[in-house]
Formats: sequence, C-alpha cells, structure tokens
Amino acid sequence: KEQTRDNDLNHNRDVDRIHGNGINTLDIEVIDGRYMLSGGSDGVIVIYDLENNSKKPQYTCKAICTVGRSSRHVHKFSVETVQWYPHDTGMFVSSSFDKTLKVWDTETLKPAEEFQFDGNVYCHHMCPIARKHSLVAVGTKDPKVQLCDLKSGSRIHILQGHRGEILSVRWSPRYEHILATASTDSRVRVWDVRRASGSLFTLDQHNGDKSKASSEAVNTAHNGRVNGLCFTADGLHLLTTGTDDRMRLWNSATGENTLVNYGKVVNESRKGLKFTVSRGCSPEFVFVPCGSSVAMYGLHSGQLITMLRGHYNNVDCCEFHPDYQELYSGGKDCNVLAWVPVLRQPDIEDDETNSKRGGAQAAINPAFEDAWSSDED
Amino acid sequence: MNRKRALIADTFCLTKRRRCAADSVTGDSQADGAADIRSSLKYLVTLFSRKLFNDSLPPVVLKHQLYSLHNDKTAVDKQVNELRENGELLMFQLGFDSEAFALVFAEDYRAKVLQGEAGRGTLGTVEKFLAKLIPSCSDLSFNKEKMLKEFLFTDSEITQLVKSGVLTVRDAGSWWLSIPNSGKFIKYFIKGRKAVLGMVKKSKYGEILKTELEGRRTTSQVKFQMKYHIHDIIGAELVECIQTTSGTLLRHVDGNVN
Repeated sequence: KEQTRDNDLNHNRDVDRIHGNGINTLDIEVIDGRYMLSGGSDGVIVIYDLENNSKKPQYTCKAICTVGRSSRHVHKFSVETVQWYPHDTGMFVSSSFDKTLKVWDTETLKPAEEFQFDGNVYCHHMCPIARKHSLVAVGTKDPKVQLCDLKSGSRIHILQGHRGEILSVRWSPRYEHILATASTDSRVRVWDVRRASGSLFTLDQHNGDKSKASSEAVNTAHNGRVNGLCFTADGLHLLTTGTDDRMRLWNSATGENTLVNYGKVVNESRKGLKFTVSRGCSPEFVFVPCGSSVAMYGLHSGQLITMLRGHYNNVDCCEFHPDYQELYSGGKDCNVLAWVPVLRQPDIEDDETNSKRGGAQAAINPAFEDAWSSDED
Repeated sequence: MNRKRALIADTFCLTKRRRCAADSVTGDSQADGAADIRSSLKYLVTLFSRKLFNDSLPPVVLKHQLYSLHNDKTAVDKQVNELRENGELLMFQLGFDSEAFALVFAEDYRAKVLQGEAGRGTLGTVEKFLAKLIPSCSDLSFNKEKMLKEFLFTDSEITQLVKSGVLTVRDAGSWWLSIPNSGKFIKYFIKGRKAVLGMVKKSKYGEILKTELEGRRTTSQVKFQMKYHIHDIIGAELVECIQTTSGTLLRHVDGNVN
C-alpha cells in the first residue's frame, strides 16, 4: 500500500525547547509511541508527550518532566545515549561521558541503579525483543564490550575482540542473542552472547576478496572508524557508517556486503553517529544526519531522495516514529524538529487522467493542510 | 489507471524536478544494462588524451566518472562487475585513493602492453601473464602463493613482470595489477584535479555553471580535457551538483582541499 508522502518540516508540529545545549540522542518508546526521551550535551534528560491533546492540528509536544541541572542525580557531563526500557515506560537508561550508566525510575526520576566505567561511555543498547535476558550492552573507550544485567545489577559478561574504542552497539531486532558492535579499529563484529568464545564474524567490506584493498584494510567494514550501526526493522540487514564517508548495507545473517552504493555520506563524527531506518514504508528509507540537514536515502536503491533542511546547526541524532511514519531529529541548535508527512492531493499538472478531480481542488499550501486526519477512502 | 496517490519515491522530492538545459549526457533508462555502461565508457574513453602520453598508455577511465553519467551507483557497480567477469574490462587500484579505481578495456590494455614490450626480453613472460589474466581473472592484486601455485610463474618471472610495469609492489609477497607507464598519468591527473577544484573554489560564491567551467581556458596544470576532469569531480562527489534552470551548477564543498 503506497501513501502519498511529502516529508517536509511540518509547521503544525513543534517540540518544546528545553535543552540549553545540543541534543545528542532521542528515543521513542515502542509500546504506545507516545513518549519521547532526549539527552543533551548539558547532561539534561527530558521526556516529551508526543500525543495531540488539543483539538487543533497545530500543537506543541510538551515536555512532561526533566532531569535538569538542579537534580542531585543528573549526569555530570554530556548524555550520549538514552533508551526507554523496552517493555514499559516505568524505566529508562542513560549513559554519559561522565563514565556512568544510570537506570532511572520514570516516576521518581531517581536512578534505581548506576554502573561505573573506566572510560567515556559512547553508547548503550537494550535488546528490544529480549524475553530471556535483560542485558544492556555498553560501548566505552575500552575495547572490551561490557554486558550489564538489569535484573541482578551486575556486570556479567565481557566481549573481547575489538582493538579500539567501541562507538556503537546494537542488538538485533530479530534474534535476542545477537549483538553487533562497531569500533574505531574499523571493524564491526557480530556476537552471539550465549557463546563463550569470540565473535561470530567480522563484517568485511570486500566480502573475502583479499585482493581488492591494501593489506591493512583486509577484513575491515570501513576504511576509517565505524561509528554508526542500525538494523533494519526486520533484522535481516544491518547498516553501518564510517568516517570514510561511506554507508554500507550488510546481510546480517551472513555478514555479506550487499554492495549497495549510497555515494558519499559525509561523516565527521568523532563519537557515535545516530541514524535510523524507516519502518512500515514501502520502500524503506534511511535517514542520516549530514551536517545541518538529514539525508534521506532509499534503503535498497542507494539513491539520495532528498535532504531535510530545517536545523540551524549540526544534526546529531534522528529517530523514526514507527506508527505515524514521522521523523524526529535533534541537534546542536537545541531544537527537536518533527518531519511529518503531509497527505496531499497529487498536483493537477502531474496527472492528466485525474482531470475530473483536478477541477475541484487547487493545490493547497501544506502549512494549512489538514495534517492528521486520514484521507483514505 | 486512476492513480490517486503517487508513489513515495516520486513525490518525495519537495519541488518538481526543474527542467534543466540539456547539457548532460544522462541515461535515465537502465534497461540496457551492461550495454549502457559500455557506451558510457566508450564516450569517456574519447575524452582521454592519448597524445599526451605519446600513445604509450591505453585509454584510462575512472570508475567514479560513470557515477556522473548514471544516477544509480549500485547498478553501475553491478554492470561494471559484469563486464569484468566477462573479461571485457580490467580494473586497477591506482594507489592515491582507496576508492579510486581505473578501468581499461582489456583489448586496449593487451595491445598497449605488448606494444610497449616489443623487442624486450620480458615479452614472453608478459604474454604468458596476459593470457592468464584477460579472459578469466578479475583480481586487483596477487599474492605470491597465487603467482607461484596457480599461475605457475617462477620468482625470476615475477621480477620480470614487475620490471615491465604490469605488476607493482603492494607489500611483502603481493603485487597490485598495474598499467605500465601510468606514473605520469597519475601525476597529471592529481595535479589537474586539484587545479580544476581550485577553479571552482575561486569562482564567485564558490560555484560555477558546468557549461562555463567547460569553456574556461585551462592552465598549464591541467593537461587533460576539462570534461574528463569534470566527470571525475562530479562522480567522486568532490563538488556538489545542483540542477538549476540555467543548467548544472557545481558548488565547492568544504573539506575537499585535495
């Protein structure tokens, strides 16, 4: 089923501006899709309600609560990753450059648990489908990937194999024991956490053809630091981005490079790059922060569809809302912007066979368009 | 068919595609596949300056120049690989950029190499190597094991191949496939690329229409044809390519100093 999409900055949807410093991470809870978390460079964490309670199409997503600078438990340095607990919104986890990972009780906004690490924590991830475990994978300056258990509150496992800082970790949305990790050593490793031995495989951009690159580049996923990971919604493919300005799409079961060519995906991030993939669209899209815009690519075609412009400064993160096919992006300008599709009649000039409908409607300015009632007949 | 809703990909571009002046050789239909790429390659080959190298080099085209002619990079890659599997096209790693690959038609390569080798003692070995390479092998580099066991060359024969320029050293015990006498090509190419990028950067507002750049007088730094370099900088995304009503505009991108 295709839907007319015109992903533009929707003038009807706003998000409260709370952060005083750049926004590094966003997460929308998967249960209702109603609440969004954001973490900023000032250590502040904000929770927003995305639902429209006013009867008007124009509304602002309000911030319902904040862990601000005045809180006793606030992170001392920038928050790099936030994530809702996958099974309910009573809990969320944040990790920061203050070398801690905090597990928060949403009701009281106090940490129920705190894990201390030796180096900056670049990223963490909890498995969205886990039933048999409640592990948080943590990527830090240490080349060893840490697995912390939320149930027991202890660090139970270490994954060894990388030789550089871990910039991104991601659980598979398909198999709850599969974890992918990306490192500054240019490698991406895929692990089965049940196994005691090392990783299952390393992603090789040349697919085993050792003749294609210089000898040092053998068995690497990128020709630079790998700083972004994202599984597709079905878990069958994995996207990686690197500081070699490339994005690659991999078959997550075999580790094969599908060789889809996205061209130059400018990537200067010294930390993890937070990008996202659409869900429920046909075909699927990848949204990557690119300077002060968000670049949108066709997932399997590799074509650059459009650049979403609206931020005043670098975009640091973006998150896709699964139910409404909307994109939220946050950046250094302290704004969270909502990119919402506008259901629109096809333009009169575009479709000659539509002449009988064309006379009745002139093209409407999307700013005045009814953006949330469905047009399906 | 009364299509009430357009396809996602169609309406995703916020503005209607502007009608641009027909100044680019764009192939929108990918129906012909490999034949399409072959004709683009042949076109790019005509832009190569043979006389500059006294006819000692086969015409060299860079893979990313094809990206400036065709929209779908993945399809271009696939078709180039098809041509390489067929033995029609050879690909080389040039060395100055891990992503820059040179393409040469196999027949041209063989002809020029043999022409260069005529009268030399290494001719026999080179012929043997070409016979192994051209119909079936699409590797970019070879290691010692492959050379000795699969291709059945001796150590001294390998030395001869390196001397003739067909192989260059990659690291201990492995060699890149290379084009003999290509050092000059690479030198002129890098210099010319830098000069053309400088021309774009120094233009007013850091941007220039493609047609205007093609018409500019080339400095002594630029030894190749302007169009050859323009396809290179567009395909390698060293400049931003913007469609306007007056034609394609090339805009300097920050961070590209080479």
